[in-house]
Amino acid sequence: MAVRMGFVIITSRCIDCDACMVACRSENDVPLRHTRNWVKSSGVQGQFPKVREVFRPGNCMHCDHPPCVSVCPTGASQKRADGIVIIENSKCIGCKYCIVACPYDARFANPETGKADKCTLCLHRLVQGLKPACVQTCLGKSRQAGDLNDPESIVSKLIAKYPTRVLLEQVGTGPNIYYIDEAVPEIPEGK
Amino acid sequence: MELTWALMIVIYLFTAGLSAGAMITSNLAFLYGGKDFERVSRWGAYISPFPISFGLAVLLLDLGSPFNFYRLFLTLEVRSPMSYGSWAILLFTGLSIIYLYLWLPEKYQVIGHFKNSEQWKKWLSKFMPFLSVGVASYTGLLLNAAVSPLWKATLLPVLFLVSALSTGVASVILLSTISPWQRARHKELHVLTKVDAGLIILECLIILIMISMGRLSSMSESYAFGSLLYGQYAWIFWFLIVGLGLTIPLLLELMELKDKIPVKWALPVTISSSFLVLLGGFFVRYVITYAGQTSGWF
Repeated sequence: MAVRMGFVIITSRCIDCDACMVACRSENDVPLRHTRNWVKSSGVQGQFPKVREVFRPGNCMHCDHPPCVSVCPTGASQKRADGIVIIENSKCIGCKYCIVACPYDARFANPETGKADKCTLCLHRLVQGLKPACVQTCLGKSRQAGDLNDPESIVSKLIAKYPTRVLLEQVGTGPNIYYIDEAVPEIPEGK
Repeated sequence: MELTWALMIVIYLFTAGLSAGAMITSNLAFLYGGKDFERVSRWGAYISPFPISFGLAVLLLDLGSPFNFYRLFLTLEVRSPMSYGSWAILLFTGLSIIYLYLWLPEKYQVIGHFKNSEQWKKWLSKFMPFLSVGVASYTGLLLNAAVSPLWKATLLPVLFLVSALSTGVASVILLSTISPWQRARHKELHVLTKVDAGLIILECLIILIMISMGRLSSMSESYAFGSLLYGQYAWIFWFLIVGLGLTIPLLLELMELKDKIPVKWALPVTISSSFLVLLGGFFVRYVITYAGQTSGWF
């Protein structure tokens, strides 16, 4: 089966340290005041003394049906055969159509390049056999990335074992970040 | 709040519609009105190329990489409204300049006189309405494709089309009324005013249906339309669009059609009603563009 790259994010393991954001910025030279990934808070839930707060890390969902790719007028926004959504900078004219079309707000206009900018799933690291910077740095092991079609991958094993959800399913984008909210005591071995 | 698509895009959406509307007005006046409607056809032709050219210049300035814009014309991405829209607008602008040239008085046709220019005018007048409808409604398709809860509305292209026709007619009324040269005759203005009143009524209906459909859809869509009805855009929607942009010009136009306006007031009333239509048309684009970005899915 074809490779389908994506993420599994375990919210119960996220402590909102924001190291993923720092690692991404330093790895990919993301300009200040913009970011390719984020950690969102649910806000305080429940009534005292039974209160809790859930953190939800995120970035480009590398969707199956990415609206950012279909609206791009020059073909700069592309979905690769392995599922990764990228921007070919030389073709991008900076019209920002993809930015308004993304329901996850995963793209931004890079003021230094004049192009749309987003998570590349650290493609340059993947080809060296490394994990994406945000996954590598995540101290709670909340972030996991890999081939969703490979049953031997960490992400597939997690999806097989725990209930998952995706964001804004009703919009029909087919996002490839699977969220696990349950406690995951052990991260399985795998690719 | 800083928006990704701001005023520049609003101006572009408005001017593209305005040009397309003025073009159709000119074409139909020429085809069906002939000599009796010559001033209308002429002014429509004179207006048409300018708003859209201005809009395109503004659009170019809004690009992050403006020197890369030629990339638009190295490809045709059939799924991207911006891609086929760019081609359509390129063709429209080019042809509208030729059309304007054909309408110039002979002494100004400095780069040569077409032998059968009447024939050319006729041919263009038959073709341009189709292209203009494409240009005017594509701006709606453009927003449709960016799946925001407000922009998803299926009637958006129709709303933009009708609004474009309305602003196009209004711009022709405005210029052909204030110009001392080739001023529109009473009969011409009467027909234009009638058409514009009809378009305003149609626009009101479309807005009503669009909002009702939105309110009855998912929570996100309902909430997005709520921002127009009672949220942060309510005063623009009710005051600038419904009040100044639709109701007042419609009432003024109906009074004009029934000859209820005293003669000395006729000119200012015509000017202000057509100006208000243009204002309303602008804020329709404004509200849709802005509210579409400040409301998300949940």
